[in-house]
Amino acid sequence: MTTDRPTGSPPGPPDFVLQAPSGAYLSLNPATKLLVAAVEVEAAFLVGTWTGPILVLLLVLASAAIAGVMPRLAVIVAVTVPIVASIVLINGFLYPGAVDVFVRIGPLAPSVSGFLFGLQITLRLLAASLALAVAYLATRTDDLLSDLERRGFGRRATYVIGSAIETVPRTVDRAAEIVDAQRSRGLDTEGRWWRRARGIVPLAAPVVFGALTEVEERTMALEARAFSTPGPRTVLRVLPDSTPQRLVRYALLLALVAMIVGRIAGPLGVLP
Amino acid sequence: MDWLSRQFSTRVIVLMPIAIAINIVLGATVQQALKLPIYLDSIGTILVGVVAGPFAGLLTGVLSNLIWGYLLPAPIGSTTIGPFAIVAGVIGLLAGVWGRLGLFRSRRGERSSIPGAVVAVILVGALAVYTYARAYASPTDFQNNTGFDPGTIDQSRIFFLVILVVFVALIAVALFLRRDVGAVYAIGAGLATGIVAAIVSAPIAAVVFGGVTGSGTDLLVAAFRAGGDSLVSATLKQGLLSDPMDKMITSFVVFFIIGNLSQRFIARFPNGERLVSTSSM
Amino acid sequence: MSLRLEGVSYRYAGSTATVLSEVDLVVERGEVVGLVGANEAGKTTLCLVAAGLAPATIGGRLQGTVHIDDLATAAARPFELAQRCGTLFQNPATQLSGTAPTVWEEIAFGPRNLALPLAEVVARVDEAVRLLAIGDLVRRDPARLSGGQAQLIALAGVLALQPAYLILDEPTSQLDPQGTRLVGDALAALAAHSNAGVLIVEHKTDLLAGLASRVAVIEAGRLVAAGPAADTLADERLPGWGVQPPSAVRLGRAAAAAGVSLG
Repeated sequence: MTTDRPTGSPPGPPDFVLQAPSGAYLSLNPATKLLVAAVEVEAAFLVGTWTGPILVLLLVLASAAIAGVMPRLAVIVAVTVPIVASIVLINGFLYPGAVDVFVRIGPLAPSVSGFLFGLQITLRLLAASLALAVAYLATRTDDLLSDLERRGFGRRATYVIGSAIETVPRTVDRAAEIVDAQRSRGLDTEGRWWRRARGIVPLAAPVVFGALTEVEERTMALEARAFSTPGPRTVLRVLPDSTPQRLVRYALLLALVAMIVGRIAGPLGVLP
Repeated sequence: MDWLSRQFSTRVIVLMPIAIAINIVLGATVQQALKLPIYLDSIGTILVGVVAGPFAGLLTGVLSNLIWGYLLPAPIGSTTIGPFAIVAGVIGLLAGVWGRLGLFRSRRGERSSIPGAVVAVILVGALAVYTYARAYASPTDFQNNTGFDPGTIDQSRIFFLVILVVFVALIAVALFLRRDVGAVYAIGAGLATGIVAAIVSAPIAAVVFGGVTGSGTDLLVAAFRAGGDSLVSATLKQGLLSDPMDKMITSFVVFFIIGNLSQRFIARFPNGERLVSTSSM
Repeated sequence: MSLRLEGVSYRYAGSTATVLSEVDLVVERGEVVGLVGANEAGKTTLCLVAAGLAPATIGGRLQGTVHIDDLATAAARPFELAQRCGTLFQNPATQLSGTAPTVWEEIAFGPRNLALPLAEVVARVDEAVRLLAIGDLVRRDPARLSGGQAQLIALAGVLALQPAYLILDEPTSQLDPQGTRLVGDALAALAAHSNAGVLIVEHKTDLLAGLASRVAVIEAGRLVAAGPAADTLADERLPGWGVQPPSAVRLGRAAAAAGVSLG
């Protein structure tokens, strides 16, 4: 029966529901953080060949430091190391048409331009991925979805995304159980490729069927809670926003368009 | 507009996150267990497209990629799947079209469908022969018609044949297991989807990732490039090998699943009537 | 003002079998009506039809009429029905939206869907929490509740819509004994303090004996008996209809058969 509510204020949801994110960068409106990430991703691809990615990486590292998410960002960087290494190596050794090859070992022809190409792709990729990673780390998914819904996304989009995120771990567990169960029934996962291929249906089908059994029950439960009422639903909490942020967002939107124009018209492509 | 909003009825809204989860989980777990050069990460997308319609399929594909790439933490989250959201969207869209055309309908025991299926197989065969004759007749023809390096013609011939063999093998397996002529149409639809998917994803793989996406297929791309292919050509070729196989297998699995779901369940989806086989009503 | 099924027959979409035949049933406000019957007798179908979910959400062919107060369900839309008649299903896990981080927000799901003003949403959630005495659960993560607790939250979520009628389809069948007790107590409190008309399907006739004022029996899609709870639950034909009578009745019969008087 205890629902904490600030005394003397109009009845509103309890504090634990209203919680607003706090902290530098973290407390920015989700739409702002999202737009920043979008601009950064676009800049990584459109602004010159090296300038864009390097600038974005610096910005990303700065915002990660301000938001205090550097440790978690480091983990994400670590996960991308294999991809990064592969891109650099494969492009370095197998860049066709390179004129500055230093030695040929069978089909491998390492060249400076190859490695540079690989490096360039890697920087772009890292810049874009980390920009999105910072936005992800600095925003609670629930906050993002609430804000998007308030701006017009609608309850169905929010439900689909929120429910998908919640369903994945459950389905992973169920899939793992099915893999074990089928293995114990003799499913071959180590043998020749045609024996493994026979495992496709025995593994995929139960995962799918198991997941589908819930559809009817969930549909009726949602309808019974008036989910299909037309129009927007009641907003529980409004995430803090501010005029400076609004202005920044308009500027960012302009930047998104300006970069495309700048690239097509030429100036951005001329940068190093 | 009513058709559009019907595609997003509550039932479809409930199905979509489940389909998205199926995509992500099958793409990660089962694929890891079987270690085959297929992705299996579009089963949910194609399923939604077929039972609910093109736009539902499109959104399922796009959201699957975005959620998998940007909203799920490691170890499930994937770092390289996000940019391919467009491809996934196209796959879902196409699946919706095939579904509306009734290509995934079970045709068990429908004698009247056999001529149509035979014609379909003959058409695919004829197309294959034509392509082979035009493009693979000689190295110069190969270069002129496909833009690929003439030195890779032998390799390409082999992969072309592999796809055809898989196509025929899948149909044979389907007919043997289920005696359902509808499998021909479903697998044919998968082949078409696979080809389109390969064409759309090649530039993305080349430009965003330099041809390296962290899956086993990278070795294939590397092999093509060692043979002299440009970046886009190599990724296109790898795609033209993996995607048709993957989408044919996926479509086969989806066809099988729809055939095994109860009529009552399927009938309630927007595309329901086009999927319920007339012989059982 | 009542929930009325008149001459109701029903067939699911994509199926030719008639699952309900000529059913007449009335549930008045403030009364609790129990429904018993064997498996596959049509109990769940009757619930879906009474709530209007059939045909509004699942299609199918409905003959006869179903009225929730003045609203005919045949032409009504699901959200209109949800405000008048709440439905609780068997599986707690699939009834929770899965998108609410706290129990409080889960309960608020229904009122929010109706676009009610925020103050009203808060009031309704508080009322549902008070009615079911689940104040200590409001901060919890709905995904981490026991079966019985989850079912209580689902019930709260339905009550938050403040429907005039409630339909409960075997609310305890997937719960362990502790969960069953939890939900059973909550239902008793509900029956005592709320003016909703309740239709409850239950195998556990002991539970019904304490809750329902009237009981109906369904067999192969038809209502074969209906009357005051005490009488119907003591009807000798119950086992023949696949229903186990309450323990008190069975005890009484065993005693009588042994020649023992139970005062």
